[in-house]
Amino acid sequence: MSTFYNLKVIDVVQETSESVVIAFDVPYELYETFDYKPGQYVTLKFNINGEEVRRSYSLCSSPVLEEPLRIGVKRVKDGLVSNYINDNIRPGDFIEVMPADGRFYADVKKSNYKTYYLFAAGSGITPILSILRTVLVTEERSYVYMFYGNKSEETIMFKKELDTLLQDYGDRFILEHTLSRPKAKWSDLWNTKQEEYRKGRVDEKSITWFINEYPLYAQNAEYYICGPGAMIANTEKALQQIDVPSSRIYKESFGGKVVQQEVAAIANAALNARLNGKSITTTIPQGKTILRALIDQKYNPPYSCEGGVCSTCKCKLKEGKVHMHNNLSLDEEEVAAGYILSCQSVPMSDKVTIEYS
Amino acid sequence: MSTTKNTKMMHALPVAAYTSQEWFDKEMELIFSKTWQFAGFIEDVAEAGDYISVQAGLNNIFIIKGRDGRLRAFHNMCRHRGTQLLRAIGKGKKAITCPYHDWTYDLEGKLISIPKKEEEFPQLKGELHQCDLNLHEASVDIFKGMLFVHPDKDAPSIMEYFGEVEPYLGPHIVEELVEYSESETEPVYAKEINANWKIIVENYIDHYHLAHLHEGTLNMYDHAKAEFGWIGPHYWFYEPLVPEYAADVKNASPQPLIDSVPEDKIGAYVPWLFPNIGLSEGESTWSTFHVTPLAPDRTLVVIRSKVMNVSEWEFTKQYTKSSMHKVWKHYGNKGKYEGDPETDPMASGDFMAEDVYACEQQQKSLQSPLFSVGAQAQRGEYAIYKFQSVVKEWMEKHQDK
Ligand SMILES: Cc1cc2nc3c(=O)[nH]c(=O)nc-3n(C[C@H](O)[C@H](O)[C@H](O)COP(=O)(O)OP(=O)(O)OC[C@H]3O[C@@H](n4cnc5c(N)ncnc54)[C@H](O)[C@@H]3O)c2cc1C
Ligand code: FES
Ligand code: FES
Ligand SMILES: [Fe+2]
Repeated sequence: MSTFYNLKVIDVVQETSESVVIAFDVPYELYETFDYKPGQYVTLKFNINGEEVRRSYSLCSSPVLEEPLRIGVKRVKDGLVSNYINDNIRPGDFIEVMPADGRFYADVKKSNYKTYYLFAAGSGITPILSILRTVLVTEERSYVYMFYGNKSEETIMFKKELDTLLQDYGDRFILEHTLSRPKAKWSDLWNTKQEEYRKGRVDEKSITWFINEYPLYAQNAEYYICGPGAMIANTEKALQQIDVPSSRIYKESFGGKVVQQEVAAIANAALNARLNGKSITTTIPQGKTILRALIDQKYNPPYSCEGGVCSTCKCKLKEGKVHMHNNLSLDEEEVAAGYILSCQSVPMSDKVTIEYS
Repeated sequence: MSTTKNTKMMHALPVAAYTSQEWFDKEMELIFSKTWQFAGFIEDVAEAGDYISVQAGLNNIFIIKGRDGRLRAFHNMCRHRGTQLLRAIGKGKKAITCPYHDWTYDLEGKLISIPKKEEEFPQLKGELHQCDLNLHEASVDIFKGMLFVHPDKDAPSIMEYFGEVEPYLGPHIVEELVEYSESETEPVYAKEINANWKIIVENYIDHYHLAHLHEGTLNMYDHAKAEFGWIGPHYWFYEPLVPEYAADVKNASPQPLIDSVPEDKIGAYVPWLFPNIGLSEGESTWSTFHVTPLAPDRTLVVIRSKVMNVSEWEFTKQYTKSSMHKVWKHYGNKGKYEGDPETDPMASGDFMAEDVYACEQQQKSLQSPLFSVGAQAQRGEYAIYKFQSVVKEWMEKHQDK
């Protein structure tokens, strides 16, 4: 399952001053393995400063167009991997990539007739762009209404590509930009043309405005949200306020910015884990998650985002208690059934027994 | 006697298809409950909380608009003892309640409350919405500013159904037009006609009769230049204006011209969308012609009309110009025969009256032991044969399921 393949980087484009877009060459025999649905992500593995690290990146390319796999990576302040990628990756490099996964995707079909509301902020544009292009190309009659937030004009990723799509599909595609910190420009002094950008964040107020401004025509509507922390919660809340059922809302969190509350985890708790049919007995050093404890011991537990988002590291708690720092992927039912994210779990009892399926 | 009656044919269907209750019931089940059915105009459910209910074959469906602007459709049937929940037009909010015992559902059709649940229904355990007592969902969508419902929640999309024929319909932007009627609450035309619904459809798509039955009423259209054909189960039809009318249509038209129709595309678009909704998309009016079967020999026809969204004054000006225009000396409004326009439809100068009369008279003869279709005009009546084949094929296809 968590097999990595060495893929060759064939292109690196500086998208904005803070982001790059990287294209991978997928050899013919791996086409099927690397097939994906628009909205899904791949996981990259690096060895940085002697430690193995993995990060997930959404594919911004479209699976229905014959084009290489592409990801867009935006620098995160003090971030290890995002800056490593932005600083070091060059065409010709090889990167370890795990095939696509994720529950955030659109089930695009030629016969569909739908309205897609897409909400993106910052680097959250990546999976949204994939959905957008795939829908416009495949579903000849569906409508897409997109609301895209950024800090300022210079930080808008894929601006050119979006403009081209507007030109080609203007009868079915609407795009509204909003900028939270637009920069005043000299040209504004004599530029009287209609404002291209709204001011403000993607929040409850702007979303309510957007939905009222662009009422749906095709009644089978779906709502896709991707962006940093609060943006997802705010968007979801705004949609729920007007009775959009949660069954029609799809969201992807990129993790980050969690206020980690201090918990008194048990030091050196005993860990019993069942992994790939083997029983493992070890201890969890102070401050480590169950997942990290296993990795440090050279075991090979499944994981990819290490951020509580993807649920690849899911396992079942059979005995003991744990605390999860950040759970953005398991729903209430799964938690009630005893499932935990091992990448987020620290022990709260002297003994913890878990089982990976 | 009954055997000869049953085997007698119209074109592709037996005569019994126009007279027997058995056929009628089958059509209700296999056609009217298995197609997208016209349910009104989008403005009928304009605001959040607005709802209407409509009959679609055997199903009563209600449509309600949420605050997210999305329409929801459910079978109008309480899951308790089946009471129809909502009637007529009115204001509803975030919940749907049944007046009988106050069972309440949310806007997704999920059962959310039952009075005296604990005492009276101990068998209902856990969350109410997981008790399999949610409203049955249906489908609703919009096509050309019209609402359509389908009793099946997983129906093929409305664009799978109408998408292919759309390019053959009029270029009118229906959403820009406004409804026209003498009265606030009634459509321009509603009448029960004593004929089988298919007789009425066949009359609508009969090119052969235009120059004859309507020789004095619809002669401002150039029937000789008509183009028509079929796309799937749907029929499309176009004919231009006669040259004399076309030459000065701006002044001669009785109402302001619909401005979303480019000049070179002006004419009459008169499609029939399977199974029971015709459109009449003209130079100055845009209408729906909705046919609801009531009995084997009784059918309700409702026409709703739209015109340009301009002031009363514009209409008055246009009407004045038009009424004095020389075109109308030769075209339109003249009865086929001399007579009393009040009592003889054939002297009325009203093409609807002419059509109703022809349909009812044809239906009467279906009873006769001597009735038969003498011959079929190969171009002018091909559509009638084709429509009957579509009906037959649709029923056969859905019979198997
Ligand atoms: C399913 C999924 C898809 C993703 N897709 C993309 C993508 O397409 N493009 C992209 O650029 N990133 C994407 N990410 C985020 C990416 O995986 C990394 O989390 C991000 O690049 C930061 O990693 P880092 O090693 O640089 O930062 P770290 O060294 O891990 O973190 C440094 C600091 O930044 C904070 N932080 C971590 N991630 C974020 C974040 N996303 N936003 C704000 N603060 C953060 C941390 O809490 C920490 O304080 C995705 C994440 C997930 C789970
Ligand atoms: S590895 Fe993604 S949630 Fe744990
Ligand atoms: S029938 Fe509706 S509540 Fe009883
Ligand atoms: Fe007629």
